[in-house]
Amino acid sequence: MLAQQLLNGVVVGSVYGLFALGFTLLFGVNHIMNMAHGAVFMWGAFAGLFAATMLDLPFIAALAIGALAGGLLSVLLDWVAFRPLRKRKAPEFSAIVSSIGANLILLSLAQQMTATRVMRFPFDTFPIRIYEVFGLRVQLLQLVIIGIVILMVVGLVWYLQRTSAGRQIRTVAYSESTSRLLGINPFSVNFQVFFLSGALAGVAGVLIGLVFNSVHFMMGEPLLLRAFVVIILGGLGSIPGALVAGLLIGIVQVLTVSYLSAGLADVVVFSLLFLVLLARPTGLFGSVHGGAARVARQ
Amino acid sequence: MSSLAGYEPLFELALLNMVLAFSQYIPLRAGVFSLGSAAFAAVGAYAAAILATRYGVPPVVCVVIAVVAGGIFGALAAVPLARLRGVFQALATLALVQIVLSTALNWTALTDGALGINSIPKAVHLTEAAIAVVFVGYVLHVIGLSAIGRGFDIIREDETVAVSLGYSVRKHHMIAFVLSGAIAGLGGAMHAFSSYSITPNEFGFHMVVMLLAMVVLGGRVSVFGPVVGAIILTGLPELLRGFQDYRSVVQGALLMASITFLPSGVVDTTRGWLRRRALTRGQAGADAAEVTS
Amino acid sequence: MSMLALQGVGRDFGGLPAVDSLNMSAERGRITGLIGPNGAGKTTVVNMIAGLLKLSRGQVLLDGEDVSTREAQELSRMGIARTFQNIRLVRDASVRDNVLAGFHLHEKTSTLANLLGLPSAFRERRALLARTDELLDRFGMTAMADWPAGSLSYGHQRRIEMMRALATEPRLLLLDEPVAGMNDAEAYKLAAIFREVADDGVAILLIEHNMRFVRRLCDHVCVLASGRLIAEGDAESVINDPRVIESYLGS
Repeated sequence: MLAQQLLNGVVVGSVYGLFALGFTLLFGVNHIMNMAHGAVFMWGAFAGLFAATMLDLPFIAALAIGALAGGLLSVLLDWVAFRPLRKRKAPEFSAIVSSIGANLILLSLAQQMTATRVMRFPFDTFPIRIYEVFGLRVQLLQLVIIGIVILMVVGLVWYLQRTSAGRQIRTVAYSESTSRLLGINPFSVNFQVFFLSGALAGVAGVLIGLVFNSVHFMMGEPLLLRAFVVIILGGLGSIPGALVAGLLIGIVQVLTVSYLSAGLADVVVFSLLFLVLLARPTGLFGSVHGGAARVARQ
Repeated sequence: MSSLAGYEPLFELALLNMVLAFSQYIPLRAGVFSLGSAAFAAVGAYAAAILATRYGVPPVVCVVIAVVAGGIFGALAAVPLARLRGVFQALATLALVQIVLSTALNWTALTDGALGINSIPKAVHLTEAAIAVVFVGYVLHVIGLSAIGRGFDIIREDETVAVSLGYSVRKHHMIAFVLSGAIAGLGGAMHAFSSYSITPNEFGFHMVVMLLAMVVLGGRVSVFGPVVGAIILTGLPELLRGFQDYRSVVQGALLMASITFLPSGVVDTTRGWLRRRALTRGQAGADAAEVTS
Repeated sequence: MSMLALQGVGRDFGGLPAVDSLNMSAERGRITGLIGPNGAGKTTVVNMIAGLLKLSRGQVLLDGEDVSTREAQELSRMGIARTFQNIRLVRDASVRDNVLAGFHLHEKTSTLANLLGLPSAFRERRALLARTDELLDRFGMTAMADWPAGSLSYGHQRRIEMMRALATEPRLLLLDEPVAGMNDAEAYKLAAIFREVADDGVAILLIEHNMRFVRRLCDHVCVLASGRLIAEGDAESVINDPRVIESYLGS
């Protein structure tokens, strides 16, 4: 029983990690807390669902369309919500406010479009196959999800570490003024970072839509709230931190639901955030931005 | 007059929103990125509603207790939160909202869960709401002029300068949290006594966004900022009756537009402009006098 | 005992020393100049003294007391005040309000009195406003009192920073390029004020590029190059020191 729950926790947690990865990437590179990231996730799920139902495309194509839609929407968000503020060198809080506004718009449009209905993927999108491994019931979908998450994380790390585009992104994250001296085009870096971040959210959207077999306009909010906990726990801007903390939160949540009560899950998860902020504001893995910055000798 | 009477509920709502917007205004003025007013309002509203419906406590006493409860809750929250800055503070206060919301939903013995608390006596009308707004507005105006207001302003603008002049950032952030909690406690309690019933979901993300929008749009230095913001955002849905479905779209767009094009808000921008104009005129007058004499 | 003494002070950035083995002092009643080419580490020194940067090595003594690890707020309470090289004012607030903010350490009414708007809080406000107006008058800025600080020239903004720092009534005043962007006439007017302040017993540490100004005003000059003290003494001898000339030409 415990092992079964742990497995479920790992599956949900790895998708949380994927979602939080894009969120933390944006913060690490651009110092932006994108409050509309949950809406990007939701629209990614919508796009995947659209591909599977209207276009009758297979699972992998739906996933790709979800990623593309999430990526493009995220780039659009940058242009409309963040770029004007960056130009003005507005404080970080402005970006929070602006993206809360964008979130409201994206959510409300989705609500109108779907008439607040809960939608589902067609039965044949993904074959239901269950294996017995050491007495555990393992669904094929769960294995595939873990595989996809691993693949995407490895791909992202490879992109950031091994390609010249990735090096440019890391330079901007390290120091924006240095990157300008080196002649790095901030336009192209921003485009890539927002696209990657949105694509990760889009994939996570399709996967969560499949796991819980439900796609609806409010699906992004709980994920965004959990992502806050994940990135604080893992350290803002830290990629391994986002993954480990994502897994941890997934497991804690599943265990709370099955052993305590479903209602308590949120209280436990968010109290965890509070405790971490109290004890170690820079997160378990340290933050690239010094955590809860205060005026102190540096 | 009879046509105006139809708008009484709307005026009452606008006034109650002003009280809640004041609670969001204080932390933003002090440079605290708190989004926690909804949590404090929930504490006040539930404290008042439970005392009134289960124990028959008179509304005035309920409201006073709600203010104290909100203030204490703000003080407790401030212990960890005043150590944080920027986005960390914003996220932690959002988590606080979520914790309070989940507690209200799940502690059914106390709160009746998702059903909320019903048949709360209607004790707050237009007059009571107006008195609350004038009272809180006046108190905040006085505080704004005082040494504490000066501390808020300089900490918001430049924390490094503030500490180099001896200001304690932690103390001022604590004060902002306590005031925010107490005012939200008042606003929450008055909301409960005005609307017959309360449910947990009223104090969720939607309220966070609405209060934030009011202060960002109105302005966060002058006390009139939240007042104007509350008027605009309460009145807007009425103007957009035909577009009921797209109200949130308009609200979101307004939030984005105001932070992008009017970052200081309607009131503070206007005040700055008026002051500059008066000074330039005074200057021109003085120059002219110099020439003629 | 010196008001300020630095003993073997060093600070590394990314493994490289920006300031190293620095010994220097500032005496009460005197104006000590700290000069050196760009990038010599002058502002780093000021930020270490004012509590914004950690020391990698050495000690800072204020009136004999080791204050190397105190935070900026404590140091300000202990009597250190400063101006910033890159002017830092509340740009939208009036000149008067900016200066008034400097009197924080002399506010005596309780937080509660301020929250409740008791008469004592208003009395104190009036008293501090009167002292603010005295400062404005001393710096010749009474006519600009109501203007937003950000709308004035650099020279005026620097004066606001100085008034704000003086409002704290410091024992040690750190001035980071106070007359940058001013003409000689304006600078000498300020020099007279600095001299008065020093004569009241305050120790002043002045970072400045304008050599004529340094020569005219400073009682003692320290020269920093690449983070090290390369010469010190009275202005005349230091400025003619071949090592100093070389360090400026070499940069």
